[in-house]
Amino acid sequence: MKLKLGVFIPELLRHLFKRPSTVSYPFEKLNLPKDFRGTPVLRPELCIVCKSCVRDCPAFAIEIETLSEEEKKYRMTIHNDRCIHCAQCVESCPTGALYMNDEYEIATDSRRKLKIEYIYTRPKKAAQKHSEK
Amino acid sequence: MKRITIPIGPQHPALKEPISLRMTIEGEVIKDADVRLGYNHRGIEKLAESKTYIQNIYLMERICGICSHSHTTCYVQGVEALCELEVPRRGLFIRALVCELERIHSHYLWLGVAAHEAGFDSLFMYTWRDREVVMDLLEIISGNRVHYAINTIGGVRRDLNEIQKEKILEGVEFLKKRMEYYTNLGTTEPSFVGRVSGVGILPEEKAMALCAVGPTLRASRIASDIRKDDPYGAYGEFPFEVCTADTCDVLGRVVVRVKETIESLNIVEYIIRNLPEGEIKVKAPRRIKEGEVVSRYEAPRGENIHYIKSNGTDKPERLKVRAPTLANYPATIEMLKNGFVADIPLIFAAIDPCICCAERFVEIIDERKGSRGIMTMAEIKRKFKKPEIKKDFVWPL
Repeated sequence: MKLKLGVFIPELLRHLFKRPSTVSYPFEKLNLPKDFRGTPVLRPELCIVCKSCVRDCPAFAIEIETLSEEEKKYRMTIHNDRCIHCAQCVESCPTGALYMNDEYEIATDSRRKLKIEYIYTRPKKAAQKHSEK
Repeated sequence: MKRITIPIGPQHPALKEPISLRMTIEGEVIKDADVRLGYNHRGIEKLAESKTYIQNIYLMERICGICSHSHTTCYVQGVEALCELEVPRRGLFIRALVCELERIHSHYLWLGVAAHEAGFDSLFMYTWRDREVVMDLLEIISGNRVHYAINTIGGVRRDLNEIQKEKILEGVEFLKKRMEYYTNLGTTEPSFVGRVSGVGILPEEKAMALCAVGPTLRASRIASDIRKDDPYGAYGEFPFEVCTADTCDVLGRVVVRVKETIESLNIVEYIIRNLPEGEIKVKAPRRIKEGEVVSRYEAPRGENIHYIKSNGTDKPERLKVRAPTLANYPATIEMLKNGFVADIPLIFAAIDPCICCAERFVEIIDERKGSRGIMTMAEIKRKFKKPEIKKDFVWPL
């Protein structure tokens, strides 16, 4: 084997005149990819309370409670502290009522602040499937 | 000379994850080694029995942070075989694309770690900077950097468009150039070659007898790769070579991984240029037919095996994971023997250990009686009663 001294010296010199590879984060942000999975959000007017999101969520982060049977009033709680951001709920939803937004700076000082609640009545007519966000 | 035993780990600056190595040394030379596992056991197999097949995809993803796609693909392939699903070709191609990109990022990461352990930190920083390019490509495809969540039973969840294809090709072009530079650097830089050659020798017959897998096995002249030996998914169609080295030491493992990365980059290019049109997934049933299956997969670290037993419900009855690192431990002990104490981090890093992947069991050893065995939960509760907590305890401050 032929031994050469300092194969990486040209590389080293090149880096003296290069801009940094990082960005100054809180002031400057990178672009998010189109399929980024942030926080799950519900469009209450489309939910038909089939509970397939509750059944499929691997982290048990979605709960649906019945508030009143006659008025068809429900409460959905998304526990964002338990959520693992896999977007399986979005895929399981038959009407497209759930979607993932672009929020990723969700750190807070209390778990309770990460709970998202929606109180809504079920629409009488099954809504049409929502087109892509 | 007197023999002494020194413990390394479970918490030690040389180790990235908790594992206990006990070295019997004579002066500076290691005469015997022992590996003790179980410091990172999380009970994932038991948890998998209480979750449905769909929920388990995301649980399998969390076995490992680096080869997360390997575990889901291995699991999903098994479930698809159980319910006799025919995955569309486009789905298989996208799955293989993420597999190869993951292999590239894993090998880049390993090259950095190996360079760091060999005391060549410039190479470590270069490789990890270039690894960001692969991570960004994976983010473009799947939406997130580490847990891609791209697999589902019956195909993949996200399709590729033209812009993404172009970006991947650009990234591959850049990475190929960089990898050529590292090939040159890794095999000719005298200080690096001097540090890694002749360290951690694993002869061919020992590697075969001790069932080593992956690049560790291939560095000992044995061309064994599940992608070639037992092609799964769309791997029968891709042109690629199984890379081997004949030095049987850490240098050989560097060479194998560098060559493999170049092969993977070629596969990625082939997939993008020959991506078939059509559907990306088929609908899968919730209840899986009764039966059992063994799924094999070539992860970046070696052969990954998942065993799934189904009883006809929507939850698996048993799920067993054999991660590649577990198969490499006996070979590691062989490599460590007659080596120097200073080589322990380098030899151990050379198998690319992933401790949390391999922690699959726990054995209870009674120190007084010396008996070993498995206990039921009720027995553990009876034996190790919780100490009573004083309710109205006042701090003495």
